[in-house]
Amino acid sequence: MSTTTMTKIDAPVADVTQVRRTNRMPGEKPFGLLRILAFAALVLMALLWLLPVFWALVTSFKTETDAASGGLDLIGPSGFTTQAFEAILSQGNVYIWALNSLWTSAVITAITVAISALAAYAFSRLQFKGNRWLFLMVIASIIVPSQALIIPLYYQMLTFNMVDTYWGLILPQVVMAPIVFILKKFFDAVPVELEDAARVDGAGRLRVFFSVVLPLSRPILGAVSIFVFIQAWNNFLWPFLIINDTTLMTLPVGLQTVLSAYGVQYSQVMAQAVLAALPLVIVFLFYQRQIVKGVATTGFGGQ
Amino acid sequence: MTELRVNRRSVLAGGLAAAGLAALSGCSPGQNGAARTLQFWHLLSGGDGIALQGLIDGVNSAHPEFHVRPTVLAWGAPYYTKLSMAGAGGRAPELAVMHSSRVPGYVPGGLLDPWDLNRFRELGVDESTFSEPVWNSSVVDGELYSVALDAHPFIALYNTDICEQAGVLDSDGQLLRPSDPEEFREMCREIAGVTGTHGLSYGFIGDGQQMWRLFYTLYCQHGAEMTFPPGGQVEMGPEAFAAVLEFMHSLADGEIAAQRGTIDVAIAEFAAQRSGIHFTGVWELPAMQDAGVPVGATMIPPLFGGNAVYADSHSFVLPHQSEPDEQARHDTYTVVADLLKSSLTWAAAGHIPAYLPIVEDPAYAELTPQAEYAEAADYLVYDPVAWFTGSGSNFVQQFGQIVGGAVVSGSGYAEAAEGFRSYVNTMLAQPNPADPQGERS
Amino acid sequence: MTDVMADRSAVGPDPEVTPGAASGPRPAPPTQRQARRRGQLAAWAFLAPFMVAFVLFVIWPLVHGVFLSLTDQSLTGSGGSFIGLQNYSEALSDAVMWRSIGNTVWFTVLTTVPLVLIALIMALLVNTGLPGQWLWRLSFFMPFLLASTVISQIWVWIFNPEIGAANEILSAVGLEPIAWLQTANVDLISIAIATIWWTVGFNFLLYLAALQNIPTLQYEAAAVDGAGPWRQLFSITLPQLGPVTGVILILQMLASLKLFDQAYQMMNGNSSESSRPIVQYIFEAGFVGYRFGYASAISYIFFVLIVLVGIAQMIVLRRRKEDS
Repeated sequence: MSTTTMTKIDAPVADVTQVRRTNRMPGEKPFGLLRILAFAALVLMALLWLLPVFWALVTSFKTETDAASGGLDLIGPSGFTTQAFEAILSQGNVYIWALNSLWTSAVITAITVAISALAAYAFSRLQFKGNRWLFLMVIASIIVPSQALIIPLYYQMLTFNMVDTYWGLILPQVVMAPIVFILKKFFDAVPVELEDAARVDGAGRLRVFFSVVLPLSRPILGAVSIFVFIQAWNNFLWPFLIINDTTLMTLPVGLQTVLSAYGVQYSQVMAQAVLAALPLVIVFLFYQRQIVKGVATTGFGGQ
Repeated sequence: MTELRVNRRSVLAGGLAAAGLAALSGCSPGQNGAARTLQFWHLLSGGDGIALQGLIDGVNSAHPEFHVRPTVLAWGAPYYTKLSMAGAGGRAPELAVMHSSRVPGYVPGGLLDPWDLNRFRELGVDESTFSEPVWNSSVVDGELYSVALDAHPFIALYNTDICEQAGVLDSDGQLLRPSDPEEFREMCREIAGVTGTHGLSYGFIGDGQQMWRLFYTLYCQHGAEMTFPPGGQVEMGPEAFAAVLEFMHSLADGEIAAQRGTIDVAIAEFAAQRSGIHFTGVWELPAMQDAGVPVGATMIPPLFGGNAVYADSHSFVLPHQSEPDEQARHDTYTVVADLLKSSLTWAAAGHIPAYLPIVEDPAYAELTPQAEYAEAADYLVYDPVAWFTGSGSNFVQQFGQIVGGAVVSGSGYAEAAEGFRSYVNTMLAQPNPADPQGERS
Repeated sequence: MTDVMADRSAVGPDPEVTPGAASGPRPAPPTQRQARRRGQLAAWAFLAPFMVAFVLFVIWPLVHGVFLSLTDQSLTGSGGSFIGLQNYSEALSDAVMWRSIGNTVWFTVLTTVPLVLIALIMALLVNTGLPGQWLWRLSFFMPFLLASTVISQIWVWIFNPEIGAANEILSAVGLEPIAWLQTANVDLISIAIATIWWTVGFNFLLYLAALQNIPTLQYEAAAVDGAGPWRQLFSITLPQLGPVTGVILILQMLASLKLFDQAYQMMNGNSSESSRPIVQYIFEAGFVGYRFGYASAISYIFFVLIVLVGIAQMIVLRRRKEDS
């Protein structure tokens, strides 16, 4: 498979999906007691971890009355129903929020990866005054918790008149120093000879970057993009602060802020949660390998 | 294999980016067809939400030239936080609902724009169409900042079938009116005997607002005062304070009422006819009628002496806009006047209308069980006035934090009263943070 | 800080990837002065987009926050007069702030140990190569992909004191029901449980990646020496995971100290004294209470807390490395 065709440059992408089949210890029996115990433990933990989501699903297919009467029935006395989903979908809010989440996350990802890659390349390859000093400053900023900046940042957005705008939502999210760090480390490992050849042919820095370096960097760019996208998709605090207009809200913010006019309705709330979870879960089902790799590689960005 | 995957991924990424750009160029708020859109924020869900939606639909169909677009935000602190942030950002909605008790805290910070009384006069709305206390609560510093839609008291709903079986109705089919705490508890036990679960539905766990509503009702029944003079010390009666907490504890015994009842569990329980009495706001009435509960309504009985009914008002405000659209403002006055004049439907939702022509309408007297608690209007008590009090404020949450332990555990009532006193004194010593220097007051 | 970063390379699968040349820019081929100046220009062209955003959205707020914290600025635009260190002295004597810091630290303790241990166990089990890899990864990692709002709604429902699944299960096995999110001091533990469920998959992946970097050769050599599976676990696997565990610990503690989303959402925006984390207190002071100046001051106290924890951990990690 792809592992064998990987160049050295692919290497930083951890392929945790390639668990060695040889992990059975040499001399260990294929169905030893230990393996059976391990299997039982895995099954138990997996069940425990799937249970909350399963319970949300179960509730979302009940009538409100059945949901509100409690109990652990899988199907309520009034039977299986999709009423809750119909009610949620007919309100239309969830579509708008999902679309907002989708495209703002995509724009954040595109901008973040683009500006981080350019900066990382400069830090890795280009000689300029203060290179080391600037890089240290960028890296040091990783320690600054974004939560500590919400007050001055919000004040800034008030001044720029960007409260309740998409740009106010997007722009403060595009600075991700860890991404610069990862990409710099990657560019450091790219053999400089590849670029020198192109430069001898008279190509400028920018052209070398786009025609030589970027194509080599696809796997790592894919990995960090996935990570940035997940972060942006799930981000709550900043979008929650900056957006008041319900038509501009992202999915997490809308779900938290806007209620149905009909009050607390358990199966509708669960149906909403299920619908909101669906996009990323579906993508995960199809692209598990890439997502797992992307997250493991980019991992240290924090949660 | 590797190549293929990369390509698929870049196609996906390209698609996302394209969708993003399309959305960026195509989307901007408020482009909603030809009609002018008026953003209207409120915090009313449940039975209220349904009723208000009906009123709004009425206004929208009467005025094709504009479209009121309501947004329901989570009740309480989250709503008020969002509303002030929108006001501070200068892009607030055209119209919003606030509790009257919260308005005094909002005015000094410039978060609200005043109403122009002259425009309202032309639409038949002025001081003569409101009762004096309601009108006074709408005026801050001589300017009209809010227009009340209703007064909504905290009352007792009861299930007439269950209460009949329990023998706690009088000859007119009305709930008996016990006059001391033990008599009331006994009554609830009778009902619990019928339902097999609880006699009373009252949710308060983790909910300062619910605790405050019942607490303040019963506290005021003692005839005790509670005043919050700015910069001074709270005046209150610690004995009455402790007595009410003790009574509240005695209700949450698992028989009279659930030990760990939350507000929505209490609502669900009464709606499912598994209890006989429900301490709640009038706003739950329609939802209970819809649920098929044979429902009566009355003031919470005077268990500690006099009658007192905790209440607040929903009122219309103009959140501050830095560049208000003249046409939209004009439409907003029309909307408010129309809503007031159609508030008989709002009375159907349980509330006591603030607009007097509606209350004086014979149609109002025919509404049942609204007429049963119409007398509550004579005993209304609102939150003590201060910049930090009011429905959904941090104050009521703090109250819940301070007394919650005592109500659940049944001990430490006096300490809770003392804790409350010192909390309020701390707050009284602080300036209104919306206007720390008093520049705008 | 750079040191922590270097450690993180341990997470990557191939230690050889970090070449010696990483320490700085490579010497450019011999050029004339003109070319060098063009090089400077090119460098800034590459840097400009990121640096502009960096200065605007990190450096400027960081500096302006200091200024705000010395004023009585209000969200409403009122105030803004210079009041010296008054906000800081108020914050330092504010019992609610200290309680929030205490809650935050307690939450970090509650979550960090399970989040590292459970993740390790999960990764060790999955790494045995037992069938069903796809399913295990799905079960353990999927919750991490859910938005905080979604997991909050699910757990609020499970934790419902009268009709929630958690209490139904407790009653079914004959235990007293609990008001999970409505009882003082229990609420934060409930939030911690939900958090562990939500984020353990992330640490699990990091461990899984690290496990696959342990050279097979070592196991084979150990097997030749007659070491059984347990011996191999304790003499090869766990020692090899040491550095990664250090990194995961740091990441986890820093993440837990920043608690806000799920705590705010699960308490439905109503704060309780025993569950309010420090970030929520910043939010409440600034956006609920309008006190931007005061909230800025608390932000800096929070910032200092984070930096202290970061430095303390680096020192501990470095010392351990020197010892070994």
